[in-house]
Amino acid sequence: MANIDKEAVDLFQQKAAPVSIKIVEVPGLDEAMAYALEVCEKKQPCELIPVAEGKFSAGDGGDARVVCVPNLSDKEYKTFADLGQPKGFTILRKGMRSYLSGIDVAFTTAGAAIADTATTIIESISEEVRLATMLAEIHVIALKKSQIKKSSYDVEDYLQKIMEKGPAYTAFISGPSRTADIERVLTIGVHGPLELHIALVEG
Amino acid sequence: MQSAKSMNEYHGEIQESLDNSFLRQALDKFAVAYKANRLTIFADINEKELIKEIADAKDESLDKLEDLYVQFKAEAEKRGVQVHRADTAAQANEIICKIAAENNCKRIIKSKSMTAEEIHLNHALEGEGLEVAETDLGEWIIQLRHEGPTHMVMPAIHLSKGQVADTFSDETGKKQESDISLLVKVARRELRAKFANADMGISGANFLIADTGTVGICTNEGNGRLTSTLPRVHVAVAGIDKLTPNIHDALRVIKVLPRSATAQAITTYVSWMTGSAEHSLNPDKRKIMHVVLVDNGRTAMLKDELCRSALRCVRCGACANVCPVYRLVGGHKMGYVYIGAIGLILTYFFHGRENARNLVQNCINCEACKDACSAGIDLPAIIHEIRARLVEEEGAPLSSTLLSTVLENRKLFHSLLRFGKFAQRPATGGTKFIRHLPEVFMKGQGFRALPAITAKPFRDRWAEIKRILPTEGKLRVGIFAGCAQDFIYPEQLEAAVKVLSANGCILDFPLEQSCCGLPVRMMGERKAAESTAIRNIRAFDPARFDYIVTLCASCASYMKNTYTEVLEHHNMRTEAQQYATRVRDFSSFVTDVLGLTEENFTKSGETVCYHSACHLCRGLGVVKQPRYLINAAAEYKPAPEEDVCCGFGGSYSMKFPEISGQLLDMKLTNLEATGASTLVADCPGCVMQLRGGEEKRGNKLKVEHIAELLARQLK
Ligand code: SF4
Ligand code: SF4
Repeated sequence: MANIDKEAVDLFQQKAAPVSIKIVEVPGLDEAMAYALEVCEKKQPCELIPVAEGKFSAGDGGDARVVCVPNLSDKEYKTFADLGQPKGFTILRKGMRSYLSGIDVAFTTAGAAIADTATTIIESISEEVRLATMLAEIHVIALKKSQIKKSSYDVEDYLQKIMEKGPAYTAFISGPSRTADIERVLTIGVHGPLELHIALVEG
Repeated sequence: MQSAKSMNEYHGEIQESLDNSFLRQALDKFAVAYKANRLTIFADINEKELIKEIADAKDESLDKLEDLYVQFKAEAEKRGVQVHRADTAAQANEIICKIAAENNCKRIIKSKSMTAEEIHLNHALEGEGLEVAETDLGEWIIQLRHEGPTHMVMPAIHLSKGQVADTFSDETGKKQESDISLLVKVARRELRAKFANADMGISGANFLIADTGTVGICTNEGNGRLTSTLPRVHVAVAGIDKLTPNIHDALRVIKVLPRSATAQAITTYVSWMTGSAEHSLNPDKRKIMHVVLVDNGRTAMLKDELCRSALRCVRCGACANVCPVYRLVGGHKMGYVYIGAIGLILTYFFHGRENARNLVQNCINCEACKDACSAGIDLPAIIHEIRARLVEEEGAPLSSTLLSTVLENRKLFHSLLRFGKFAQRPATGGTKFIRHLPEVFMKGQGFRALPAITAKPFRDRWAEIKRILPTEGKLRVGIFAGCAQDFIYPEQLEAAVKVLSANGCILDFPLEQSCCGLPVRMMGERKAAESTAIRNIRAFDPARFDYIVTLCASCASYMKNTYTEVLEHHNMRTEAQQYATRVRDFSSFVTDVLGLTEENFTKSGETVCYHSACHLCRGLGVVKQPRYLINAAAEYKPAPEEDVCCGFGGSYSMKFPEISGQLLDMKLTNLEATGASTLVADCPGCVMQLRGGEEKRGNKLKVEHIAELLARQLK
């Protein structure tokens, strides 16, 4: 049984709301996957962005939803694909450079999290992880409760291990992409995701 | 970017800002919202402790910067990154242009980097025929408009959505609506194509970790991630001051930076790039990554004992966010590339005297920046130091030389003040204000009435006053008058004498005392600052006094906090220390030393509002005491923004009357709105400014020193 810091989990949830993170609690990873697919089903089709004058990358903007799961293991990927393909979704693990016009959903699993800033840490040395989590309109992260630590100093060792080895590209993500550059009005979704969902997994 | 060639031109530029009603409104709203949000976001951590830790850690890093550089270079290169060091801006630009050429890059995307702005990198790249697009929304907007940033964190804060819509309409060739969420969408679309086609990405860095060779960047938009992911080549450009020993230090910076910058607990994205990451388009599947470390005067600054602490700066922009002058004129007029208090300083070091000369004059010394700085930098002190250097290098302006000469000679100074009384007599028309002065003295001063010199200064009244004072008591207290009270408002001192002598103080007023020296220090007149300090220290023999009490917040904070520094290299250092420990402001002396409470006063029904003098609340940290005392003697009516500067700032109000007048107006509007009948302050300078303003506005408030209120209500 993994060690869950209940206080940290509560704090994480409390800090997530003000930074526009949507949290759902699920019993296991499979349910987190099902949640991501449900989110995908309900959303408007991806609004494709031209990558050059009048030109789009892959994806036709029709009903074929694209979901990328860049950091799932082979086994997890299979589960995800089995759940998603019957819905008619395109489920990918790589090839994101061909989708620069955008995809519907990215589903990732987290490496660690910091409660007091509602931050999820995702190791992103893989280009696919970096691209998927930026190109998707909605990013769904599966985060285990036991991965949540109270403050950033509590993940220092975790970070040290990753970076000591290197190369690494470690991402702190604490909400959907946002800007306040025009008249200081907070606006969500400037370059990256329009929504960030976290599926909090028991254990 | 402030570009005036002369002070006159600079005044012209400032007036333009003051007349820009959109800018004024935007900055006003921001200033008020920022302060409230900042309080909330710092509520769950110990702000002062964190800032102290940052300052100490930064100092330590600065001490071993060369070692950190060597270590960072080795660690980053081990992980596939090439590290360069550039001594000058030109060298840095050359290195980056060369990287572009060697890798056959044509199209460049950039995420925000102040260092790139500092070295005018875009200019250099475009000179090589490269196409450069900023991707931070604010930066992109001002790039399209060919403007410089007006804020380090929110570069386009000076623009309205209408202006942005016009700019985007021009750029896209389509009419764009002035709807913010639609405009953000336009940016999303337009910039995606630029990301997709760029072959080189340039970013800044918020920290560089020596231990692991990691480059860290913080963004909200996520453009930093795309910039460092999509193109084949990534160049991070940063000042060498961004080197930090380990991950812990970086985590600490992340705690303070977003909180101070935009009152966020953390930026949406923090990217830690340790070595070159995967890249599918390069033959070896690795990104080509370079780090360019820019010196551009930083190692020279390191050796500069008095100014090196400015290198602690984490570029949060808080010093602009809280600056009352910035709030009025905006970043184009209060900065060159860097903006706000740190902008005044870095312009001098990075962009030269020519560009700094006017700028460094435009600080009212309210210490709001020092109080908010993420890295605990004493910004106003460094600004004074730079003024002093400019004076030493280039000679002082006539007015400042005159003042120094006069202040170095007490008798001359005091007889001039007395003479002023005769000179103005016909002009004041029998009231306490100067009615007409020749135009040369009154330029721009129409916003307030100036007070008249008293017929009989305090020093001439003292012998008589002293005769009836008690000679026994528990504390021996020396009164330090300061010029304003001695020669303009002796009645304030008499009120204080009444309160103090009735509560166990044996008072004395050494006649050899003179001006505290703050005015000459502000002008950068080092020698005059020393000699005035010495005169006062000699006047108050430490053996004869337990305390030196002054009713002037500016004199008190200057003498207490700065005398030892002014005389640091003088053999009277120890005496300066003794003197400084004895100095107290009136309010905190009354409550904390004499222990007076509401028991000692008759509470009247008079409604009283309060202006919290800069040098009292920030300079000395005296916040609660005066409010407690007001409430003991009358009905205290709190006002919004009580601790914002009234615009006096000594000679500042003469130099920048247009700004001083605006600050005064905002102040009085807030205070009048309380509906109080009386306004008190802890500083004769503030009283002078506020009373002068009220005289012009029809005297809705009676303005006095807190001592006068207390004397009236003393039981
Ligand atoms: S001391 Fe006041 S006026 Fe001067 S730079 Fe700092 S905040 Fe601005
Ligand atoms: S000087 Fe201080 S407040 Fe100003 S930007 Fe630097 S760290 Fe922030």
